[in-house]
Amino acid sequence: MTWLNAVIQGILIGGFYALFACGLSLLFGVMGIINLAHGDFAVIAGYVAVILVPQTHLPMVFGFLVVVPIFALGGYILQRTIFQAALNRGDPLTILLVTFGLSIITENALLQAFSSNGQSLNIGNLITDSINPSNVISISDISLVVLIVAVVVLGGLQLMLSRTATGRTIRAVADDREAAELVGINYRHVFGIAAAIALATVALAGLASGMITEFAPTSGTNNLLFAFEAVVIGGIGSLWGTLVGGIVLGVAQQIGAQINPAYQILAGHLVFLAVLAFRSRGLFAVREAA
Amino acid sequence: MTKGNVMDQANERRVTNRPVDRRTMLKGMGAGALAIGAGQVIGELALAKPAFAATSSTPIKIAYISPRTGAFADFSISDSYVLSKIRSSSAYAKGVTVGGKHYSIDIVTADTQSDPNRAAQVAQQLIQQQNVDLILTTSTPETTVPVATAAQQLKTPCLGTVCPWEAWYAGLGGNPGSPTTNFSYNAMFFFGLKEFAGTFLPMWKRIENSTHAAKVFAGMFPNDDDGNAFRMGFPPYAEAAGYTYIDGGAYTDGTTDYSAMIEKFKAGGAEFFVNCPIPPDFNTFWKQAVQADFRPKLATVAKVMLFPSDAVALGRLSNNIATDAWWTPYGPYKSSLTGETAAKLASDFEHSTGSEWVDSLGSSYSLFEVAIEALKASDDPHDHAQVANNLQKVSYSGISGPIDFGAGPAPGVGIIKPVGVQWKPGKKLFGKKFPWQEFVVDNSLNKDIPINGDLVATNT
Repeated sequence: MTWLNAVIQGILIGGFYALFACGLSLLFGVMGIINLAHGDFAVIAGYVAVILVPQTHLPMVFGFLVVVPIFALGGYILQRTIFQAALNRGDPLTILLVTFGLSIITENALLQAFSSNGQSLNIGNLITDSINPSNVISISDISLVVLIVAVVVLGGLQLMLSRTATGRTIRAVADDREAAELVGINYRHVFGIAAAIALATVALAGLASGMITEFAPTSGTNNLLFAFEAVVIGGIGSLWGTLVGGIVLGVAQQIGAQINPAYQILAGHLVFLAVLAFRSRGLFAVREAA
Repeated sequence: MTKGNVMDQANERRVTNRPVDRRTMLKGMGAGALAIGAGQVIGELALAKPAFAATSSTPIKIAYISPRTGAFADFSISDSYVLSKIRSSSAYAKGVTVGGKHYSIDIVTADTQSDPNRAAQVAQQLIQQQNVDLILTTSTPETTVPVATAAQQLKTPCLGTVCPWEAWYAGLGGNPGSPTTNFSYNAMFFFGLKEFAGTFLPMWKRIENSTHAAKVFAGMFPNDDDGNAFRMGFPPYAEAAGYTYIDGGAYTDGTTDYSAMIEKFKAGGAEFFVNCPIPPDFNTFWKQAVQADFRPKLATVAKVMLFPSDAVALGRLSNNIATDAWWTPYGPYKSSLTGETAAKLASDFEHSTGSEWVDSLGSSYSLFEVAIEALKASDDPHDHAQVANNLQKVSYSGISGPIDFGAGPAPGVGIIKPVGVQWKPGKKLFGKKFPWQEFVVDNSLNKDIPINGDLVATNT
């Protein structure tokens, strides 16, 4: 029973990892951007919620209605300005350094504006309630909500990419930018849309993180490692893969913890290493890494 | 990791763009190393100069090193305020007379960015390039240990605080089990695991009497300096008092899910809870504990819930969580620099910053009090060995109460006595009401601090 609980808890936390990794996966899959400021952007989402949501008198759970549109717009603008300018240099190192710089700037700007005080998004009883099918297994409501959101978001985006016209355009640009331009696609605009979607998911991840734990200006990098691992385990370019990658990581950690809490994080890293060693393109790789 | 990646790619690029054979590269590297070596020698010569030039009229230079930014920045919230108070006190504004001569005092500050490597680096720079005469440092072993180590190596007096003394002493290379080694350039004041136990166990006993809780306690200690010191040092005190220990295991800082640990605590029937995690981990753990229905009768936490921001972030789940307070505004203590009371220090802080008082106010303030005591006892403030020696002999009473560095558990360690506090919804104290406030619920170790709240079970 305790092992079953470990697997269930692993799937639940895996949903959070997958949601957190979604934006990272998308930016890398479509534009080849490794966004080192990913975690910091998620932290910004938390602060935006802390400031703006109380003014709308919405419950914090519905904070995404406020934060997600802001982030989508911000993502589009960011892509069309800074990211595009960096991509135009034609050097993968430039964009990496730009995101690294954004990460440092974000952390310090947040520190200036909000001090280092930890913040948390207060969602009332949702944070304490849980479903208890047995006295060993307890499924917390918020974790379940986050898992469902992760499945809907990652699954929905995967379907959008494979079935809709916008999705086809995004894939076309990702596969061969020049050819796409030849048939009249404005790839800069398409990149902007992809970045808007990616940042919208980052906002969701930031809100989820702010609800289940606390955040501070410098806490953004903590989850970045798990997000990277989820993307790599799942396979670059596949959002389903990222979902599965997050869950594999979460379950591995929980099984490790069941053996000994000291092995919890280690077990996740070992699975990550094993995937790199034996299936370096990830479980669901659809194309070569850019 | 990120830096490594960038560097790797940079190297790769250089190699592919401009092929260089191995011999040329080795030559280049050799020349580079030579150039760096020469630079260092010149640098050191240049640095050595001011030391010779130092005369008796040279101002006394005191460095204050703390984690102003980064993960531990909460500890430094009151730094700017304390520094302005200190700078306006007569000893620091007008200078002091040492060995019959008058000296002005310069205070330089440095931020460790909550990074132990950075802490060691800034300490070295301050000693070697700015020729500081005395280093004051505070907050967590990650700050005080690297700074103290650098000071010991470079023979500069150093005074630390806000770090369990065992972690500080072990970090310097001593054995807290038989503390005979004297790290002659170092002194510190705070308390250790004996005082943590002396604060927590009386509270457990009272809750046990009122709720008939089982004598079983859960320990959540991470695999880091503080965590390992607690895992080694705390359970023996509790076990000696008849409590059964359930170890949650040496988990990694930053763990996002604690369900395995919580199950273990529940299965073992733990009714008391003790820990020393980093603040975000406690926030995660405590929410998950409530979700999984692990509700210990009393949670006595260390290293977290020290500051109002932690309580605000945890919201109503903060209610009646107990911790230690190393300083409160309620004691009868007065500044040895100005005679101002502890209550005045806290109320001025609240009025001038609009923020709630924090324990760090007292500890940071006392660093500067002790510095003056040690300097005044010396003949020459620039004689590092003598000042350090006097630092280890200070016995005085200030804003943190009486401290005797000669009577501690290890050489150079002065003990201050904490009290047990619980977080409860705030009352009006100095004019403004804050959402959460520490109330003194147990003063077993320090009767000077009056009790101003009832000890209530964390979960009923």
